[in-house]
Amino acid sequence: MPSNHPSCASIDSLVTPFIDGELNPVDRQLIEHHLSRCGACRSRVAAEQSVHELMQERKTALCHGHAPAILRSRCATAARFSTAGTKSPASANAGRPARFGRRAWAWMAPLSAAASLAVIVGGAFLYQATAESSHLLAAELAADHMKCFAMNAVLGTHQSVEAVQSSMASGFGWSMRLPVGAEREGLELVGSRPCLYGEGKIAHIMYRHNGEPLSLFMLPRTVRPEQLVETLGHECAIWSSQDRTFVLVSRESRADVEKLVQYVHVSMR
Amino acid sequence: MRIGRAKTVSPDAESRARLAFEAEALASVDSLYRTALRLTRVPADAEDLVQETYLKAFRAADRFQPGTNLRAWLFTILHNTARNRARDRAREGLTVDSEAVDQAADTPSYGLSGPVPTPEALLLREALTPELQAAVDELPDAFRQAVWLRDVEEFSYAEIAEMLSIPVGTVMSRISRGRRMLFDRLQHLNPVHA
Repeated sequence: MPSNHPSCASIDSLVTPFIDGELNPVDRQLIEHHLSRCGACRSRVAAEQSVHELMQERKTALCHGHAPAILRSRCATAARFSTAGTKSPASANAGRPARFGRRAWAWMAPLSAAASLAVIVGGAFLYQATAESSHLLAAELAADHMKCFAMNAVLGTHQSVEAVQSSMASGFGWSMRLPVGAEREGLELVGSRPCLYGEGKIAHIMYRHNGEPLSLFMLPRTVRPEQLVETLGHECAIWSSQDRTFVLVSRESRADVEKLVQYVHVSMR
Repeated sequence: MRIGRAKTVSPDAESRARLAFEAEALASVDSLYRTALRLTRVPADAEDLVQETYLKAFRAADRFQPGTNLRAWLFTILHNTARNRARDRAREGLTVDSEAVDQAADTPSYGLSGPVPTPEALLLREALTPELQAAVDELPDAFRQAVWLRDVEEFSYAEIAEMLSIPVGTVMSRISRGRRMLFDRLQHLNPVHA
């Protein structure tokens, strides 16, 4: 029977569900009967069947890749912060979430050890999702904190207080004084780095506290409620002063973080 | 200055259910990522897509019907998100000719190239996995998605229809067409048939 015979066309829509085992008994009988008499249709069914079987057989090999560890942790973080403030269904489809994995690295490519001496500030306005949730903000900044310190381990940047202060002035128009007497608090200034953030810029000042990485982020023209959030193994203290939001990120205990916040808050000018 | 602590949830039944939901959802991260890779072909875009999928899923968790397939629900969100992004990109200048894709899908493809040799399965088994992977990646999006979701992720036609926002009949014709295209490509790889 030639393949263009009407009854060949009539089984067209049955072939795929037949191969997938999703046909009802009546249709199944119909197509089996046709196949028993039509070599052309047997061939086309066999062709599709062979691909189906090959795909299934190679499923494990085709699925060899795992999601990167950082993606896994970012998704787990998404669970944590979305639990705290459940959004209305409408906002579930709102704009794109902030991409705190990749974006933070956007500045890296052109960076050289020499260039890193300049304070570079990245980023202006936060993504909408970020603005909605302090938990997301904390998670993003904790991720940026880890990456900037990892980068610093390679570059070995070390900047003076004056260099950082003048960068704050040129980058943000802030004539600020970093906390004084930092050494007495066990704080050693590392420097500042760009963290491309959303579509605007935020300042990231890095310290070591008793040798451990500690970040102080400053977001211009942003006011947020005070909060202490634990995310990605870090404590993130968020507070605002005038029109600026501060976020202190460190792995230390809550008590230590609260003490440091107190210190930074009162001693920064 | 005192800083208020983030609210901690007491381990009541509700939060246990929520944790179970999150754990089950996160168990799909590998398969969502692989599927996202098949959709975007760019690892960084795939990561973005998966992260956005989880953000949406966790925020809309109260809309998930317990007892239904959570994995399928996540895949639906993934594909909706990918579609929205494609639409955004199309607005930015790139065009997606989805009508042409559907027309192609609805065109019966078999019976045109005459009889096919019978030991098909044996023939295809010669194909190496990288060749198969490449052949899958070369399929037009609509067909690749349908074949992938059926043969690798093993979703039902109805689930795939929901994910791709297309009728079940179109799902079947896309799977059919996609498999046939794969067969043709893999067959040509075989020196016996070259």
